[in-house]
Amino acid sequence: MAEKKKIKREKEPDITFYHPDLLEVPEDGLPYLKGYKCKKCGQLDFPKLTPCPTCWGEEFDMVPLSRRGILYSFSDLYIGQPGLKTPYICGYVDLPENIRIFAMLKGEVNTFKCDEEVELTTGPIRMNEDGLPIISYMFQKV
Amino acid sequence: MKLQRDVYIAGVGETVFGKHKMDYDELGRMAAFQAIKASNIQGPGMIESAYVGNAHNGIVTGQTIFKDIGICGTAPIINVESACSAGAMAVHLAIKDVAYGLTELSMGVGAENHTLRRKSGTAFMPAMNDIEAVHGGVMTGKYAMRATRYMHETGATQEDLALITQKSRRHAKNNPHAPFGGDYSIEEIVNSRLVAYPLTLHQCCGIVDGAGAVVVCSGDMIKKLGIEKPVKVRGSVVTSGPYHNRPRDITGDDITEMTSAMLYEESGIGPKDVDILELHDAFTIAELLYYECMQLCDKGDGLKFLRDGQATYGGQCVVSPRGGMLSYGHPIGASGAAQVAAQVKQLRGECTGYQVEPIPKVAMTHVTGGGLSGTEHAACTMHMLSSDW
Repeated sequence: MAEKKKIKREKEPDITFYHPDLLEVPEDGLPYLKGYKCKKCGQLDFPKLTPCPTCWGEEFDMVPLSRRGILYSFSDLYIGQPGLKTPYICGYVDLPENIRIFAMLKGEVNTFKCDEEVELTTGPIRMNEDGLPIISYMFQKV
Repeated sequence: MKLQRDVYIAGVGETVFGKHKMDYDELGRMAAFQAIKASNIQGPGMIESAYVGNAHNGIVTGQTIFKDIGICGTAPIINVESACSAGAMAVHLAIKDVAYGLTELSMGVGAENHTLRRKSGTAFMPAMNDIEAVHGGVMTGKYAMRATRYMHETGATQEDLALITQKSRRHAKNNPHAPFGGDYSIEEIVNSRLVAYPLTLHQCCGIVDGAGAVVVCSGDMIKKLGIEKPVKVRGSVVTSGPYHNRPRDITGDDITEMTSAMLYEESGIGPKDVDILELHDAFTIAELLYYECMQLCDKGDGLKFLRDGQATYGGQCVVSPRGGMLSYGHPIGASGAAQVAAQVKQLRGECTGYQVEPIPKVAMTHVTGGGLSGTEHAACTMHMLSSDW
């Protein structure tokens, strides 16, 4: 009887960096978020929306977004998503480009205030399926 | 939706809400059969279509609920999902069938069992292909941020928000369907466990199981059934949430403002004429904001409206007369249908121990759905009902 060939599928490693399309971390510079400007109607969005919901344009120019913004609102979360360590902090950050970003905030609970200035940073947002941290964008006090 | 002919609610059903060992299908069937019996329906052949709202319990939920009712094989059963709006959307679709003359009698049901499946101590969240969910977003956080901003802009306090819970628990005190009714002090509410600053445990709806069901029919059918207290559907609106990633005022709610304005226009009933309202009070802050969004009061006067007693017995509009989601808990796919069921019972004066007096004539329901990033909510469903006897 012919021996059955065992096909062993190598599991692909899970991601450790969230979305290179949205976040750039230069080796010798500060991280920035990538906005996408529709070549047809000029609408700027983050995250990238395809097609452009306003004009259905399918081509975009990448625009680095401001690294600083205003913390519109926030919450210290004591009960969070399954698997995430609590407490953690989330907030809405308004950038000068008229874009609102939802992000985790790096810092201590009971310390953030509405309308204070925050800046982009990076940090672990969750663990991946291999037990390694996934790095993405976060904001912190200036 | 422009109703093309008169649509009536013949009968409704709701289970006791709480932690159940019965799965969603048994709960759904129980509510559906209650509604069927309350409607004097004599046999399964009279039910021409059914819609079933559910969010988390799997596939072919409607057919599973209705198999014992005897309409599998004779009526289309369509399953509806839009997170918290699912049950109300199921009722809307049943109304649509009758309004457009496709059927003479249809059913809308919402059913959900969370506790058999869900790990306690975690919060609901959007799907993981949502950019906010990947970054830790949860529904409690979304509402908590609305509260943070509202407090920042108006100077309102956690104690102010707690007034909402206190009122809802009091309304629910004698309602046997609501597990969280009772007399609570503001201190108890504010000092309960912090879930998402500034919201404490008593300011968040509980995770429970339950079901609601509604039978809708035409004018001819309501006579044929011999219903003594027909409730007329004056309007039924479903919308999807405006999507954009630009700053928006989260002390308002664009989709609720839009949907309620459409409902007032469709029904010809204005916000000041609504006697009782069940709204999406999954968290205290939501109710406070929605007074303003639905124009029960002017923008900025929500807290005054509450403090002046306008949202409770004797006020302009009794909000959450059944106790709302805060005192019922919120089985996601069920709540929207259960709200309609509870309002119909109020209009009929059937709520012994928690009946609004004088017996209300006009009832409104409101339930949003989903936390899709770029929207305040992915969906919103509202109904306007009035007594017609």
